[in-house]
Amino acid sequence: MVDSLSLCVNTQTPLVQVIGTRPGGVTRRSVAATVRLSRLVEGTDYRLSPGGVTRMIAPLVRRLQSDGVLDEVHWVALNPSGPRTIDADGFTLHNVALDPDRMASYGHVKEAIWGAVHGLDGRGGDQELLWTDQYSEYAYYNRASAEVIQQLDRRYDFDAFYVHDFQQLAVGHMLNTLKPKIFRWHIPFDATMIPEEWRLWMAAYFNSYDVVVVSARRYRAALKAFGHTGTVKQLYPYVDPAEFSRPPRDEVAATLRARGLHDEEIILVVGRMDPMKGQDRAIRAFGSLAKEFPDARLVLVGNGSFSGSRGGPGLSKGARWRSHLEALVKKLGLGRRVIFTGHLPQRELDCFYEAARFTVLPSVQEGFGLVVVESWLHRKPTIVTCRAGIAELVHDGRNGLLVDPDQPKKLAEKMHRLLADDGELGRRLGREGYKASKRCTVDAAAPAEAKLLREVTGG
Amino acid sequence: MALNPILITLLTFGILVALTFLVGRLAKLLAVRAMGLSRPQVAASVGVLASAVVYLIGGVIAIQELGISPDILFIVVALLGAAALIGLREQLENYGGKYFSDVYSPFKLGDSITIGGHAGKVIEINAMTTVLLSDDDHLIAIPNSMFMKEVVVNTTPQAWKEVAIPISIGANVDLAAFEATVFRSLAKLRSRLDRRFPPVITTRSRSALSTDLTVTVMIRRPEDRDVIITEVQKRITESRGKPVPVPATAEKAPTTPPTAGSSASPGR
Repeated sequence: MVDSLSLCVNTQTPLVQVIGTRPGGVTRRSVAATVRLSRLVEGTDYRLSPGGVTRMIAPLVRRLQSDGVLDEVHWVALNPSGPRTIDADGFTLHNVALDPDRMASYGHVKEAIWGAVHGLDGRGGDQELLWTDQYSEYAYYNRASAEVIQQLDRRYDFDAFYVHDFQQLAVGHMLNTLKPKIFRWHIPFDATMIPEEWRLWMAAYFNSYDVVVVSARRYRAALKAFGHTGTVKQLYPYVDPAEFSRPPRDEVAATLRARGLHDEEIILVVGRMDPMKGQDRAIRAFGSLAKEFPDARLVLVGNGSFSGSRGGPGLSKGARWRSHLEALVKKLGLGRRVIFTGHLPQRELDCFYEAARFTVLPSVQEGFGLVVVESWLHRKPTIVTCRAGIAELVHDGRNGLLVDPDQPKKLAEKMHRLLADDGELGRRLGREGYKASKRCTVDAAAPAEAKLLREVTGG
Repeated sequence: MALNPILITLLTFGILVALTFLVGRLAKLLAVRAMGLSRPQVAASVGVLASAVVYLIGGVIAIQELGISPDILFIVVALLGAAALIGLREQLENYGGKYFSDVYSPFKLGDSITIGGHAGKVIEINAMTTVLLSDDDHLIAIPNSMFMKEVVVNTTPQAWKEVAIPISIGANVDLAAFEATVFRSLAKLRSRLDRRFPPVITTRSRSALSTDLTVTVMIRRPEDRDVIITEVQKRITESRGKPVPVPATAEKAPTTPPTAGSSASPGR
């Protein structure tokens, strides 16, 4: 019999974002003690953070707890507006605060790293970034997170630490412990995108972890080629299928009517408002087909990320990008043919998936692309950028259609193919996609994650 | 009612001991400050020496108050000292060797070195020996006194670039704020440092009283090494004095500024 493990998880994005707009509601200032999540009202007191990372970790933790792999779990995240701790029924969320000035500087650096890694400004990034005052605040945030983790470790004596994503890269080095540290890199990794001036810095921090986990096979190869000498594992990201439902037709129709939609052919693009998500490519491709398919509508779902939220670093790139897209729609004369819904609650999103003719992931770069898995769970055909990690699982013409996001004509051709389809191709792609989705569920991932935890802890 | 003379003597003795302790602490503090930009380990040693002198003088005065002749005390101390020097000569040589190599030898844990025909990776530096792990998996204990007599070759690639400065801060200092302040300050030296490697602060140990850190920077030119060590140390000392901004952690709210009491040495 192997003992259950105690684990400390660290992410930038918190599982729960406190809305804090209700008079007398929960805020950091109003509540110093632990708050029970079950006593708060979703949508009024808090919302669950959208996005892949937190939506992966929560079901994984719950699954590993029910399997007896994990026992005590504490989750440390950036959450300036939340109470100090939240009891999330089975694990505890610990919120790290940053004052607004520090948050802005930290946000600047992490966006610069993110932009460089995604090749946003061509190859390379700000060569002086690591010597700026803003960088000292990036270090500050990482150290503040590490300090909270170490305080918790003194109290709970964790068996391992699981640190997630590039925002927290330095945390592993800052944890003064001999206990195992796992780092999961969720974004793409292409060594040629890393500026020469950052390489030693980045390599040193990668090497402070016992294991680095990446989302796609090619990222593992790239990290090895980068010169990383430690252990690198590849695990596909995952979702909990139980969180997705297939609403009945009348509910779907009612949901769409509320958005002014009836029997139109819906092309669905789900992703936060961000240049990297490539919604502009989808709009341009759609623009070339709009006349031929007058009933088609392009529906863009998503807002900014946690980084753009009021409770996060407050970066405004989401709003800027949406304005840019709206101007593009106007310029192309698409008017009401393109619909921006903003963020949708899960049930409403499920309705849109059900109603969609097909989905598109047009990202310029994409760490993985869990929205493709969501689409597959709804048995919908999908067009996937070849620059997404999940492209490794897409066999062109069998369970999806692959496309280079820099070739808008090709994207338009594939969209045309699915719009003109009599249904046979779409059904086949959806059916095969559903089969492929099984590789990206918490059911498939839990044994691999449990094995990883057992290996690093020597269990 | 007159106080018992014995009680008065004991009271005076107690006051003298307390005063000696306080003056000794003050002397140490002043000596360290007076050493200013000297190598921190040397400054710390001078501080210890200053306090020891005060303790010795204060001790002699206090003992005189008890009616004991200081001559007897001196003779006892001298005899004990001589016996210790003869009996513990090798150990003292090693201890002294560690002290001086801490300050002046350009290697640290993890480096590969060669000394007296032995070569290996440094895996432990204790008060008496430096332990090397050889390529054929043997443990080699080098007496620290050898580092004062033999030529040491650090074969670690680009070892000359790395400057590691150990420092201590009070346990109640907001480490995140201190680190950010140090980074901002050291960024001013970036033209002299390897741009590819920003400063790194590593936590070595923590106790109820202090947190021991190592600040590591990579220099661009070997001849700059000494001047950069001094400048980095100066900037770290200045960072200690800067006000600590609002704490960031959710669990802890440190409020006191960083306190003095550091030791620093290059290379180890």
